[in-house]
Amino acid sequence: MFGIEDPGIWLPYVLAVACLAFSAWWGISKWNKDDESDENEKTDKRYK
Amino acid sequence: MSTFYLGLIVLVYMLSLAYLGYLGYKKTTSSDDYLVGGRQMNPIVMALSYGATFISASAIVGFGGVAAAYGMGIQWLCLLNMFMGVIIAFIIFGRPTRKLGVLYNAATFPQLLGRRYHSRAIQIFAAAVIFLCMPLYAAVVLKGGAVFLEQIFHIDFNIALLIFTLIVASYVIAGGMKGVMYTDAYQAVIMFFCMSFLLVYLYKQLGMGFTEANVALGNISDLVPEKFSLLGHQGWTSMPKSGSPQWYTLVTSLILGVGIGCLAQPQLVVRFMTVKSTKQLNRGVFIGCLFLIITVGSIYHAGALSNLYFLKTEGKVATELLGDIDKIIPYFINHAMPSWFSALFMLCILSASMSTMSSQFHTMGAAAGADIYAPLTGNNQKNTTRVVRIAILFSIAVSYIICYLLPMNIIARGTAIFMGVCASTFLPAYFSVLYWKRATRSGVLFSMWAGLLASLFALAFLHKAEAVPFGLCKLLFGRDLLIDVFPWFAIDPIIYAFPVSVITIIVVSLLTKKE
Repeated sequence: MFGIEDPGIWLPYVLAVACLAFSAWWGISKWNKDDESDENEKTDKRYK
Repeated sequence: MSTFYLGLIVLVYMLSLAYLGYLGYKKTTSSDDYLVGGRQMNPIVMALSYGATFISASAIVGFGGVAAAYGMGIQWLCLLNMFMGVIIAFIIFGRPTRKLGVLYNAATFPQLLGRRYHSRAIQIFAAAVIFLCMPLYAAVVLKGGAVFLEQIFHIDFNIALLIFTLIVASYVIAGGMKGVMYTDAYQAVIMFFCMSFLLVYLYKQLGMGFTEANVALGNISDLVPEKFSLLGHQGWTSMPKSGSPQWYTLVTSLILGVGIGCLAQPQLVVRFMTVKSTKQLNRGVFIGCLFLIITVGSIYHAGALSNLYFLKTEGKVATELLGDIDKIIPYFINHAMPSWFSALFMLCILSASMSTMSSQFHTMGAAAGADIYAPLTGNNQKNTTRVVRIAILFSIAVSYIICYLLPMNIIARGTAIFMGVCASTFLPAYFSVLYWKRATRSGVLFSMWAGLLASLFALAFLHKAEAVPFGLCKLLFGRDLLIDVFPWFAIDPIIYAFPVSVITIIVVSLLTKKE
């Protein structure tokens, strides 16, 4: 693949691109999503 | 490029930094602002700052040189940087870190650990490790910048380094975390564009495409210098021979040491506490990954391909042309790239060095001032900030001195040492703070001690790369290493120390009562 025979070399290239794709999906799909507990942080702080 | 234009570029760059440092200073009104940017930082600024802090001149000059010597196997490090350093770090570690930071009002990594277990000892111990060990890493970063300046400008780098160190000191001390993060983000943008250009121009220089260049690089595997092939080098597009000394160095030190070590870097962890909410972290994941694949991925790829360029122009591969691995990338930039780009790339290296250094200095100062001095003296916030500023100055001076004591080929190794020590000392404790409720105060404290001591022991007595030049084993036992049998002397200390730390936290926590 990509002119490289050793899978130990081309694999990290493929996986790095996969990581980039995953990060784009994660960022877009959770663009406005806060954890539920974020809303309660001030309350949590009061009871800590 | 004429000295005038070069000076002008540097002047504009420095003025931009001064402005951003001033902006940080103006917007800093409390110790929370000074230590965690008021927890209101923009996610793009945070992610760029995280990336710029992560990627130092060591990563560019040192690991780029390693890629030129060892080949493309180092791309596993790029992958781990993205996967562990951003995806796992932001999603698994960052989100709970931010929440607990707010809950415990922690503004530093040691405070997060200490306040979670209501333990001043944990906080002070973690801060002491940071304050004592981080100057080595900072010195390595300094050296990366210094080597580059020396190569590009043929100047006395002592003076240039002094000036550039003082500039970093001024905006860190004045602007605190906001000054650091604004300048980091600006520097990250410079790094991003420089690395993109570097890769595109390299292919133009080689006159080949992506696949064609890889094939050409694979075809010159018989030119691997004998000293490397004896160590397991099989060519720049092949992994080193399994179980060979080079394989152990690549896999255990560089890939595992740095790849896992990045999860427990105090100067990175604190960035999760600078944003307002979880969604800000989610938004930062893509920016972080994109930044790393372009910057780190490009320089590792270009480093390996530089062998084709050197073969074409000088008739030798990189390591035959230059004995010091740390000098390969500066030499390559100076000869393969247009002169205007050398000047711009100098800014890229300065940016990489300064962004990492500024965060290191800020973290070391915060460790001494906010985590050690304040709890020991019960001092108020105003005095704490002053102590942090003085501690930053002190840590800069120490790092500066260490920089001149470092041996050759130290940049990549020094980074791996620090990251390995951080992983072994902090990672099990940090993970437990976030996810393991059964962990006890004693378990965390013992684990940190065990991880640190095991790391230091392995560095001084077992791992050849450090134990031999360090000489303590020779002094005490009359021989270079305690176990002088392959592969033991080639295995990185993290492989011993990290499990010791993990086992300690589990065993001690289960044996002690939860407070």
